[in-house]
Amino acid sequence: MSVALANSRTLPWDWYQGTIPENVALLGETHLETTYSFLHYRSQLAEGLRLGHGATVYLGTMFDVGPRGRVSVGRFCLLHGVWIICDAAVEIEDYALISWNVVLMDSYRAPLDPQVRRRELEQIPRRPARRMQGNAPARPIRICRNVWLGFDSCVLPGVTIGEGSIVGARSVVVENVPPFTLVAGNPARVIRPLENDEVRQTN
Amino acid sequence: MKIQNRKSKIENGPGQWLDGKLPANVRLGANTVLKGTDAFHRFRSQRNPALIIGQHCTMDGVHFALGQDARVEIGNYCYFSNAILLCEQELHLGNYVVIGWNATIADSDFHPISPAARIQDALACSHLGKHRPRPPIVIKPIIIEDDVWIGPNVTILKGVQLGAGAFIEAGALVTHSVPPRARVLGNPAQVVGAV
Repeated sequence: MSVALANSRTLPWDWYQGTIPENVALLGETHLETTYSFLHYRSQLAEGLRLGHGATVYLGTMFDVGPRGRVSVGRFCLLHGVWIICDAAVEIEDYALISWNVVLMDSYRAPLDPQVRRRELEQIPRRPARRMQGNAPARPIRICRNVWLGFDSCVLPGVTIGEGSIVGARSVVVENVPPFTLVAGNPARVIRPLENDEVRQTN
Repeated sequence: MKIQNRKSKIENGPGQWLDGKLPANVRLGANTVLKGTDAFHRFRSQRNPALIIGQHCTMDGVHFALGQDARVEIGNYCYFSNAILLCEQELHLGNYVVIGWNATIADSDFHPISPAARIQDALACSHLGKHRPRPPIVIKPIIIEDDVWIGPNVTILKGVQLGAGAFIEAGALVTHSVPPRARVLGNPAQVVGAV
């Protein structure tokens, strides 16, 4: 596996002529397939995205991060094409496996009230970038250590998925998931608990 | 960033598709912008006009997959990202409609229910079919009223009417009509609240 060169901010193998934004922290050895993933990235924070050692980000992953958004991806995470919509905070802890076409959203972006939303929609075509500017309240998302999210699933604003849990394919997670639990369905429901068979090293 | 350079042309100018030559039977209102190289990749409608979009709309990565007789009408101030519109007959979308990433809207299932008819359809669709006529399929127009919000990964099926201001949660699969300002969720989608 190749290593992104933190100094050059470009990827030698990239098909897309982009750069890794300055406020993206690559800790240790990380692998990014393409800088196309930053097409919608516009965080203004000192550190808008942090990728941990061993994290891998494949094509199809999009960091749709607003000006005050902060995304953190832990060690040895596998992002296999996830759409991260972040206006506040999306935290993905170590060893998380996230499949293709998964949506993690901490905000609905548009105001929920139709009358207020109309005013926002009338502003968009006047802006050069024609973007929605996340005036909706955002609620942080947390994907805990060693969680596995199946393909096409969605995680809605404010949700925490507990350590070691599994979310079945095409599920929509609307409420918190306890640790070591298998959930599935739309809306997602508990299917059964998972035995925690991890042997942790103790010193 | 490319849009920024083209800003002067766009403001109050005619609607445009930034990634190719617009088909002759598409009408775009002033200041409407379409992006995405595949927007008309499966655009086969012979109607004129086949696609009418109002003013001040922003559609980034949208796919218009229209059959021979399809007609799609979309209002003003709509905002779509990567929506997939599959139409054999008619889609009608109002003003201020928002559609999230990877949402699919289809006014037909594209193949018959009857097993015998489906064999005929498979034969007609084959590259050996030599323009053999396809059996009839069920098509029911979709109506999406003003101010509807459609989340990412949503699917809207044939014959559905979404009432004004309806809020379709991410990942919902909508098989039946939704009352105005209702919040729906799930597969199949159920009303879970109001906005």
